[in-house]
Amino acid sequence: MTSFVVKRLLLMIPTLISVAVLVFFLMRIVPGDIVALRFQGESSFASKESLAIERQRLGLDQPIWKQFLVWGGGLLRGDFGTSMWTGAPITEELRLRFALSLQVAVMSTIIAVLIAIPLGVLAALRQDTWVDYAVRIASIAGLATPSFWLGILFILFLLVVFHWLPPMVYTPFWVSPVQNLAQLIWPALAVGYRYSAVATRMTRSAMLEVLREDYIRTARAKGLWQQLILSRHALKNAMLPVLTIIALEFAFLLGGLVVTEQVFNLNGLGQLFVDAVAHRDYTLIQALVMLVAFVFIMVNFFVDLAYALIDPRIRYR
Amino acid sequence: MLVSRLFLALAVVALAVAPAVAQGPAGDDKPRSGGEMVYVVPSDAPSYDAHREETFGVIHPLAPFYNTLLRTDPSDRTGVKVAPSLAESWTISRDGRTYTLKLRKGVKFHDGSEFTSKDAKASYDKIVFPPPGVASDRKGEYIDIEAIQAPDPYTLVFNLKHPSGSFLNSLASPWNWIYKADILAKDMRWYETHVMGTGPFTFVEHVRGSHFVGKKNPGYWDRGKPYLDGFRAIIMKDSAAQVAAVRSERAFIQFRGFSPAERDTLVQALGKKITVQESAWNCAILVAMNHEKKPLDDRRVRKALTLALDRYEGSKALSRIAIVKDVSGVQVPGTPFATPPAELEKLAGYGRDIEKNRAEARRLLKEAGAENLSLTYKNRGVPMPYEPLAVWLIDNWRKVGVNVRQEVVEAVNIYAVLRGGDFEIASDFQCGYTVDPDLDLYKFQSKELNAANFSRYTDKVLDDLYQKQGQAAGVEERKKLVREFERRLLDEEVHYLYTLQWYRIVPHNARVRGWTITPSHYLNQQLDTVWLAE
Amino acid sequence: MALDRPLEDVVALADLTPERSVKDGVVDFVRHRPLGAIGAAVVLLNILAGVFAGVLAPYDPVATDYAAMLSRPSLAHWLGTDAFGRDVLSRILYGARTAMLVGFAVALVGATVGAVIGVTSAYFGGRIDLAIQRVMDIFLSFPLIILALAMVSILGTGLVNVIVAIMIPLIPRASLVTRSSALAIREMPYVDAARAAGYRHRRIILRHMLPNVMAPYLIMLTAFLGQAILLEASLSFLGLGVAEPTPAWGLMLRGAAVQFAETAPWMAVFPGLAISLAVFAFNLFGDSLRDALDPRLRTQ
Repeated sequence: MTSFVVKRLLLMIPTLISVAVLVFFLMRIVPGDIVALRFQGESSFASKESLAIERQRLGLDQPIWKQFLVWGGGLLRGDFGTSMWTGAPITEELRLRFALSLQVAVMSTIIAVLIAIPLGVLAALRQDTWVDYAVRIASIAGLATPSFWLGILFILFLLVVFHWLPPMVYTPFWVSPVQNLAQLIWPALAVGYRYSAVATRMTRSAMLEVLREDYIRTARAKGLWQQLILSRHALKNAMLPVLTIIALEFAFLLGGLVVTEQVFNLNGLGQLFVDAVAHRDYTLIQALVMLVAFVFIMVNFFVDLAYALIDPRIRYR
Repeated sequence: MLVSRLFLALAVVALAVAPAVAQGPAGDDKPRSGGEMVYVVPSDAPSYDAHREETFGVIHPLAPFYNTLLRTDPSDRTGVKVAPSLAESWTISRDGRTYTLKLRKGVKFHDGSEFTSKDAKASYDKIVFPPPGVASDRKGEYIDIEAIQAPDPYTLVFNLKHPSGSFLNSLASPWNWIYKADILAKDMRWYETHVMGTGPFTFVEHVRGSHFVGKKNPGYWDRGKPYLDGFRAIIMKDSAAQVAAVRSERAFIQFRGFSPAERDTLVQALGKKITVQESAWNCAILVAMNHEKKPLDDRRVRKALTLALDRYEGSKALSRIAIVKDVSGVQVPGTPFATPPAELEKLAGYGRDIEKNRAEARRLLKEAGAENLSLTYKNRGVPMPYEPLAVWLIDNWRKVGVNVRQEVVEAVNIYAVLRGGDFEIASDFQCGYTVDPDLDLYKFQSKELNAANFSRYTDKVLDDLYQKQGQAAGVEERKKLVREFERRLLDEEVHYLYTLQWYRIVPHNARVRGWTITPSHYLNQQLDTVWLAE
Repeated sequence: MALDRPLEDVVALADLTPERSVKDGVVDFVRHRPLGAIGAAVVLLNILAGVFAGVLAPYDPVATDYAAMLSRPSLAHWLGTDAFGRDVLSRILYGARTAMLVGFAVALVGATVGAVIGVTSAYFGGRIDLAIQRVMDIFLSFPLIILALAMVSILGTGLVNVIVAIMIPLIPRASLVTRSSALAIREMPYVDAARAAGYRHRRIILRHMLPNVMAPYLIMLTAFLGQAILLEASLSFLGLGVAEPTPAWGLMLRGAAVQFAETAPWMAVFPGLAISLAVFAFNLFGDSLRDALDPRLRTQ
């Protein structure tokens, strides 16, 4: 087991390095210039000279390989550098936004699980009945609704019906739980519903598969009570793939809620990412990508670990 | 001479830009002290240093912490009336080349230190004569300054290379905040990440991407001000979210402006609780036509493109859905050098008979051998008002048989595209904090003279006219020359297209008093005169 | 994900490779999978709307009519008009063309390229598999919408570029799914036999392995169709998709549609419904297809 863990941990290193190389050079292929954007705005008098000074200050006049070494060296020391756009340390840019995104991701996941598992199990137990159909329609409808659309409807509903708007500024949970939840529960609901659609479908098909196994098929013949008891066993076996999908989606929620954050005016990582790309703020984009990739890889690692613990055969593959 | 001309101009402006507004600010009653003003800013500040930034995202949340030497009168709707601020008075020498400013005594920075001419000089030196390694974006605007001197702690003298009609106005520039000399001496970049000014409010906090907080400066030099206890500027990018914030009364105002539909929604939902202020906006969307691409090198083709536009119908229709309104020439309507409507109608594409215009456009295209012309319009990736305007333009061009495809280019890329000449036609704009022919016509000089000529032409006649209007003997003479310039630019040569003038609409909570809209969203953001009614 | 399925599964899957006539299959599908049949019908309707938009649409989708700006649904304009007086129904019908074009191009090319990569990776195994999977991992560690955003920044906006931008992030996902199915098939006796007989790799992959991952491939295809349409709408909503005046559903939801949400709700409601209905139908169909082809297929 230890060797499995060590091996998996070691495998992360090349992946992370590749992500670093990829994002670094990819961003430099993307056309666009942070200096031109800053200095050629609404009343342009900027001279070539000031553009050159600014480029030099940001180190953009250096050869690309040199820029990469400087950045890579910083990363190794755990130093993300400063944002090219704001001049503030990257860690300061990320801190509160990461907290917000993490909380929304966690809350959405909880909501999704609370909806998905009972519904998925129910649909599987009652396959091809109206219950199954209803659950499937509801969950597919979740997949089919654009999240920005749902968000706009939410806000409009709160405004028109209650003349109320969620708080505009993020308050950490430990400062004021009420303020915090009043702001974040809405996006969490909108995202959680959509996300539960994926998980419900997964639960249903995983359950169906387990239910087809012989011992359960026999048991099913015995009546509803036994069925329910057995479904507990079935559920346990069916949980692995469901866990996988939930874990992977979780990693995406952290940085991928671009449109939802915009609609609900959340100051999270998704918006930051869009802004960073719009400004070609290289240092910030790189840090964000590394952060999200790291979370994704870690989540993946834990999923693999869970598999290996439950099913020893996997370890030797 | 030039100076008196400018003052005359200002007087005319003050008279000319009168009402044209639904409801004015209700500001007659006595200001009341107290309260925190919450407002929305549509973008975060890149850095805190206005000397080097170009976005209102810096001005709106940070201007209340600072003062400028002069300012525009906060109650003046035209935004061109210069008023004292840190400088209490000024004199201009006979030859118009020396400006002497008397600075206010007893002004303190927020750290308690005394403001003197040393600070003013250091701040202006940073902008006009930046030391090596410091980029100053606005150096070009102050190219006329020969020297800045501080003969005593309360006097500042600017020596100009030659008289300049717009210099006084540039001393009131909303970007030129006065910083502390001692800090600048230690670190020229300190102000990018810190705040230390003399303004009516002191800095409390900035949470990145979220909000700014400021509180009343109790020792502010202008006794009795500010009226507010503090302010909170909430950063909010999505315009629907901004409207929701004002509508729910969580925020009082968003100073940049809303679209007509958003205004109507707010008025409908809140009725009397909303005050609407509107003004012509000193911004216009232009269409650059790249003279280096065939067949746009042909004057007839360019003329056909302007003749195809039904500007009057566009004004009527688009003013319902976008932040544009007036049909205008090269100056904001209502300002001294603006084209009178009767004269405007004589320009190509401004005539009232659209059928005649379009028939002429088709004839010109045929004559130029450019029937069934297909073009790509590269548009700046900013939704309002670029997007609706593009739909309107493309539709108008279609009506004379020109098939135009829109390609949206991210804002971060558009300058590379425009400067590199990698386009046929593209959206461009002319925008400034004050209306002034020198500033507004600068970009239309030949490409050899300025890099912002994106149509990429050389026109010596136009360059000559530009010089002449700047040195004209009187207002009438200058008006004539500006008209001549305009005729050559838009009618004879059709180097550029003017579409419609922007229109600024600020619907705000009726409790907000003491704030007056101006034609520029860069002006009047110090909030010292603003107060909240019960 | 669940990568290693027992051999029996695959046998069952191989059994599914239909010898029955297509007609029987369809009849069977409609009878046993009513939801799927409804989905299929709506999908068909969408395709027809897209293909025959030119005949069906009552108005030119880009023709403005300022006299009829923002008019509510009426006999003249069944679904009302937008902020430029353009007929909403006509724009939705032409929008179906854009959506189907994006959907099918993305799904077909993306799923196929992904499947080839996945099967190749599984077939060779060992180092090649490891290398390919690590590359795929790198792409997978970016959220989908963000990868699409970056691609649009590189390529620029426009229909073809949007298709490529959406397709690229989907390829690794497709490869992941097909790889896990193919891993099991690789161990099948007939693949061994083919290898022993000295057939070339390309032939074995194309002739023996690819046909056997048909079921997951088809299911993925339908899932991608829905996903592509949604992604295109999201990109357009963010202003990074196709450009006006091209009729596209996501574009119709943007700008004026939001601003007039209360006074002219038809501008936003109908295109929103069109998106939801299309994605809904593709998913419904895909879901039933999954049930029909392989009840045990775990991966999405």
